[in-house]
Amino acid sequence: MTLFDVVFSGNDTVYGLTEGAIDAAIEKHGADKAIAFPDTAYSLPCYYAVTGTKVATLGQLKEALGVVKTLMTREPRLNDAFMSGIATALCAEFIEVLKYIDGALPYEAPCYGHLADAVIRELGVPLVTGDIPGVAVILGSAPTAQEGVDLVKSYQAQGILVTLVGGIIDQCEELGYKTGANVRVIPLGKDVTSVIHVVSVAVRAALIFGNIQPGDAAGLMKYTMERVPAFVNAFAPLDPVIVACGAGAIALGFPVVTNEETFRVPKSLIVQKDVSKFNATSLEARDIKIKITHIDIPVAFASAFEGEIIRRGDMQVEFDGSRVDCCELVMTKEASEIEDHKITLIGPDIDEMPVGSKQSICYVVEVAGKSMQSDFEPVFERKFHSYLNCVEGMMHTGQRDMIRIRISKDTYEAGFRAKHIGEVLYAKVKSEFAAVVDKCQVTVYTDPAECTRIRHEVAMPLFDKRDERLTTLTDEGVDVYYSCIMCQAFSPSHVCVVTPERLGLCGAVSWLDAKATNELDPQGPCQIITKERPIDERIGEYEDVNEAVQRFSQGALEDVSLYSIIEKPMTSCGCFECICGIEPLSNGVCIANREYAGMTPIGMTFSELASMTGGGVQTPGFMGHGKHFIASKKFMKAEGGVARIVWMPKELKDQVAERLNETAKELYGIENFADMIADETIAEDPETLLAYLEEKGHPALSMEPMM
Amino acid sequence: MPFTPKSGKFNASINTVEIGTGDKAVKIGGENVFPLYSFDAPIENAPKVGIEITDFGMEHELECIKKYYEGCTTLAEIAAKAASMEGVDFLSFRMEGGDPNGANKSTEELIGELKEIAAAVDLPLVVCGCKNAEKDAELFNAAAAALEGKNAVILSAKEENYKTVGAAAGLAYKQVVGAESAVDINLAKQLNVLLSQLGVDKKSIVMNVGTAAAGYGFEYVISTMDRVKAAALQQGDVNLQMPIITPVASETWGVKEAMSSEADSPEWGSQEERGIDMEIETAMAVIAAGSNAVILKHPESIKTISGLMKELV
Amino acid sequence: MALKGLDIFKLSPKKNCKECGSPTCMAFSMKVAQGAVELSKCPYFAPEALAKLSAATEPPMKTIKVGAGDAEMSLGGETVLFRHEKTFVSKTRYAMALCTCMDDATVEQKLADIAKVDYERIGERMFVEMVYVNDAPDGAQDYVELVKKAAATGRVLVLGVKDAEKAKAALEVCKDGKPILNGADAANYEAMNAVATAAGVVLGVSGADLAEIHDTVEKLEALGNKNLVIDVTGETVKDTFKNAVQLRKAALKDGDRTCGYPSIVNVAKVARGDAHKQAALLSLFTMKYGSIVVAENIGYAEALPLYGLRQNLFTDPQKPMKVEPGIYPLNGADENSVCLTTVDFALTYFLVSGELERSGVPVNLIINDAGGLSVLTSWAAGKFSSGTIAKFFEEQDIAGKIKSRKLIIPGKVAVLKGELEAKLPDWEIIIAPNEAVQLVKFMKDFA
Repeated sequence: MTLFDVVFSGNDTVYGLTEGAIDAAIEKHGADKAIAFPDTAYSLPCYYAVTGTKVATLGQLKEALGVVKTLMTREPRLNDAFMSGIATALCAEFIEVLKYIDGALPYEAPCYGHLADAVIRELGVPLVTGDIPGVAVILGSAPTAQEGVDLVKSYQAQGILVTLVGGIIDQCEELGYKTGANVRVIPLGKDVTSVIHVVSVAVRAALIFGNIQPGDAAGLMKYTMERVPAFVNAFAPLDPVIVACGAGAIALGFPVVTNEETFRVPKSLIVQKDVSKFNATSLEARDIKIKITHIDIPVAFASAFEGEIIRRGDMQVEFDGSRVDCCELVMTKEASEIEDHKITLIGPDIDEMPVGSKQSICYVVEVAGKSMQSDFEPVFERKFHSYLNCVEGMMHTGQRDMIRIRISKDTYEAGFRAKHIGEVLYAKVKSEFAAVVDKCQVTVYTDPAECTRIRHEVAMPLFDKRDERLTTLTDEGVDVYYSCIMCQAFSPSHVCVVTPERLGLCGAVSWLDAKATNELDPQGPCQIITKERPIDERIGEYEDVNEAVQRFSQGALEDVSLYSIIEKPMTSCGCFECICGIEPLSNGVCIANREYAGMTPIGMTFSELASMTGGGVQTPGFMGHGKHFIASKKFMKAEGGVARIVWMPKELKDQVAERLNETAKELYGIENFADMIADETIAEDPETLLAYLEEKGHPALSMEPMM
Repeated sequence: MPFTPKSGKFNASINTVEIGTGDKAVKIGGENVFPLYSFDAPIENAPKVGIEITDFGMEHELECIKKYYEGCTTLAEIAAKAASMEGVDFLSFRMEGGDPNGANKSTEELIGELKEIAAAVDLPLVVCGCKNAEKDAELFNAAAAALEGKNAVILSAKEENYKTVGAAAGLAYKQVVGAESAVDINLAKQLNVLLSQLGVDKKSIVMNVGTAAAGYGFEYVISTMDRVKAAALQQGDVNLQMPIITPVASETWGVKEAMSSEADSPEWGSQEERGIDMEIETAMAVIAAGSNAVILKHPESIKTISGLMKELV
Repeated sequence: MALKGLDIFKLSPKKNCKECGSPTCMAFSMKVAQGAVELSKCPYFAPEALAKLSAATEPPMKTIKVGAGDAEMSLGGETVLFRHEKTFVSKTRYAMALCTCMDDATVEQKLADIAKVDYERIGERMFVEMVYVNDAPDGAQDYVELVKKAAATGRVLVLGVKDAEKAKAALEVCKDGKPILNGADAANYEAMNAVATAAGVVLGVSGADLAEIHDTVEKLEALGNKNLVIDVTGETVKDTFKNAVQLRKAALKDGDRTCGYPSIVNVAKVARGDAHKQAALLSLFTMKYGSIVVAENIGYAEALPLYGLRQNLFTDPQKPMKVEPGIYPLNGADENSVCLTTVDFALTYFLVSGELERSGVPVNLIINDAGGLSVLTSWAAGKFSSGTIAKFFEEQDIAGKIKSRKLIIPGKVAVLKGELEAKLPDWEIIIAPNEAVQLVKFMKDFA
């Protein structure tokens, strides 16, 4: 028998039962007899939602059954199986509604049967907010009562709403396990048809919370698929009726996990022989993420401890990357390679380390997620500093392989051990980067040889690779740029367009940062800007960029170029690290950084320049930018690039000289270009500046006039 | 050259949102011109004025407020009296006592009080919280259920709790959802987008974009509102076309100009007058900047602002 | 459309002669573009360049100066309709009204009341800067005598008088104080123009509606008088608001230079006898385009919120408001009271001091010089660090002035704790909550 045959036969069985039951009821009560579920405005919710038709009498129910029959096509195709699944579910609803005839109370404690609309509104809110992260439907009897209860308990602990159908109800009773809506474990009923009461919940949630119109079956299935995080755990043995019901569940987007060796349908019908792994398998299949609200460590965790300093005398142990091999690392893995929340310690624990000693440590945080990208690794890593500092009695400085960590004696006494570092990192990474991290495990190495290996063979090559990626990232090499409007509170119309070679003018937001910000907070300040419609490659003007700038500046800005300071230059907010401005006499630009308080050859100080350039207005000839941008090949590329730089404060020049020299060498073949650039010790007025430039043979003098 | 004023009418308009039900329902928003610029195009709905009471009744109020409620002993009586004041368009109930760091009243107690009030008045209702995002989520969830069918404004969902408040008020019980952000146009917009993504109808959202008393960082309030209205009307930004409702009383009656007694500041003169003018002038300024409704406390302020709105629009 | 600095520079002599006071022609051009310097400061612009530029650089709204000596003030000169676009430059001025229709006692009372409001708020003197002296047709007071009394207050006067002879007589006694003669209309503008010009004072123009006013202003401009203000007060509140907005919009948005003059809004006239309504209108016309707003009375009740509003509105949208660094004892704090420190960003100060006052706990609020930035911004900019705090404590001799050695720092900069303990070794550093609203409970628990 194929899976199709099983579904079809189960469906036929249920259909037969339903038809018999309805006919018997009509015979007994007459076709005009009213039927209804109590406390709902949605008639027979499932049938109503799928067809848009309300059923009020037995006669209408019989007609409805005719409609159900039309769903039961028998081609061996997936859609036929799904529709038969839906038909099975609808039949179950019909059988269940018959139980309520004449205001009967067919269910008694602990079973609930049909759930009132009020319950759905109440449960719906936490479902929408994710406070109830999922809905488990457990069907049948677990191999042992204990295994069944353990499974229920594991979901309950995660805040998942659990509904029970069949033998599992008795198993809970047998072990005295407390059930009820108040503890979010709801036994529905012992007949398999009572499973419809949880489907009814999902369906009504779609009608109430999703504004799905009754009769919009496609919309309904889309909603339950995308928004109702339910799944089914069906215990062996499975009969065709259960399989047919399962097909209905899958049609609604709810995967079925079972311990019976049966057909497998990827991501939908999953065989997991080990009942203790039902939880993990189900969560992964339904893509449910459990919110981490608690960090399991024996000391406090709060930003109030961020600035603690642990003095030598107070410290239990120190990990010092400047003396021994240490590192911190985030690595992206496949989901199958990671066991969520596994914390492993390799090497001695803190107990075994002499008080006050210097030790090695490496902690590797491995993450997996559908939206995870290796570009986010350094973004996570940079947060480790503040995470670990928030631990009471723990001090962390540095990054990558130059870290230093101290743990205080008090914190050690309180029971803090090496694995707790893993707990902190796990909890923070999972909660703060929930948008991209599905699974996370942490390995803490304290074994010196292992630390040496991890540092030199794993971490350093990865760091090198990342650095190389940074230097090879070019504007041409990426498909999108990002907007950044973090400064709009102060500078309402300003929009930064962040590209790989032109970081935000505050110097704090690189293209990778912006990208990560966008992924983690899709409605946040960094939005994707496409660059598909170039207008002028020379000055870096794109139709898409202009449209984005118009939108994000609320129409205040029409168009910007990325690479020119004369034509449509990018605006400046007020947070820029540096300003460059035209110095006409020398046919070049002077750059002043925020720290520089003196005069520039332009005749204005930094603050005078800032007052004219800031505020999100375009000021041709002047532009705010980050320090890092000075050595970029895109620095005023339209006007000839870095060769235009004729002056900058000495301190700034020293900071950027090395990279600037490299760029100048590559672009123009000039050696030691920084030496040709004047500074305040050489000139503060245009005439002296010009004399110096002439003496040095500065390239700007022979370039095309800027204006 | 003769003077020819150019019309400032826009193609886009602010959403019209109805609050309350029946004869007493009021509409806010709907204009396609800058605030109060009725000479550019007719403004159908003049800015509305609400009166605020809290779960503490008259317990924490100044004498100058108390005197208007003489003889009222229950919250229901206070609510009925408030609703009867001249110029009141809607009633706002602030569940101040819910604050876990304050009186920490239980949700059941506060919702019980809310129900009493809802039974006592037929004006549209606005429900405000205790400023603690977590507790507010709980309070608003219950309030939305308790006021089912009343088309009340739940003020408000914030970034921290918008899911719960939006789902309860906007989806489960079809109330009007207030979206509160702190004087930043981008945050205001972001919250509206998030609420819409949750499934809340954009036409059932009103915004509280943040406020302050005049003199207390009020420039941020002005610029935020100016920019929101410009984006909504000039740019046609559908994510900012929600009308703005601004709770004024809760800000203005807490600053020293209104709180300092005559004994402490004799040169300042009547405390009541200071309180009223702080409320009136702040309210007028937020309306000029773009608020479609304000929530005030002193009956004299309410009479003045509400009367002036009828003259201006 | 305002010219960019670079456009002006292209037409400049490029001599870097420094005669204009700027070190380079580029610097000069940038300042002209900003409106900070007048083009005429440069003696070397070619005539054709000058002609081309002066039309473009002429401001859309004139800056009119009134008052003399210390009392001199600028009206108008605005370039934008909304404060987020660029700073509003000339703050609204408030006038109290005197009228020949008042009896002697009322006049005396008013004269005394004018002086009442006078205080400082964040470095700015707040007082009623002007007196409007109205000549009512059937007033019992002698106009010139009333003007004399008003002039004795030292405030800048606005003479609301339509009779040229009376105006002339009144100006005789007050013209040195550079008052405004608010009396020209379609009927009398020629005579009034002569009187105002002779006395060298600003002339106010009114009319039935903006069209009529516009017409009169054009005629006055044709007579060579551009030293004007426009009284936009209409019959009703609604008309007045319409006039005020349309005038400013026409000037700044539509480039109608005839509308480019400061405005007078007389709310005493459209809301006579209703103090609360006048309070609301004072606020409305501060927000929307009143250069001078006249009310019957401005006491502390009206003034406290109004001047706060004005102070907020007329600020640079890019520069946050600052409070004076120093020690602010709250709730009766003395030298033994605990200290709490934060930044000098005005909004932070108001929030924090407000919550501290609400807590009722005596505390010395120590405001650091942090460049007027918020806590996190100043921390990120290095202007609120353990080093700057320690330096500030030393400069201000905090340890000498206060005996308590407990210092509460903002929760958002908890990271400073360790370094501060090292730099201020005698002090116990305590971390406050992250948000100001949590301070009340924190302080109560602490005390």
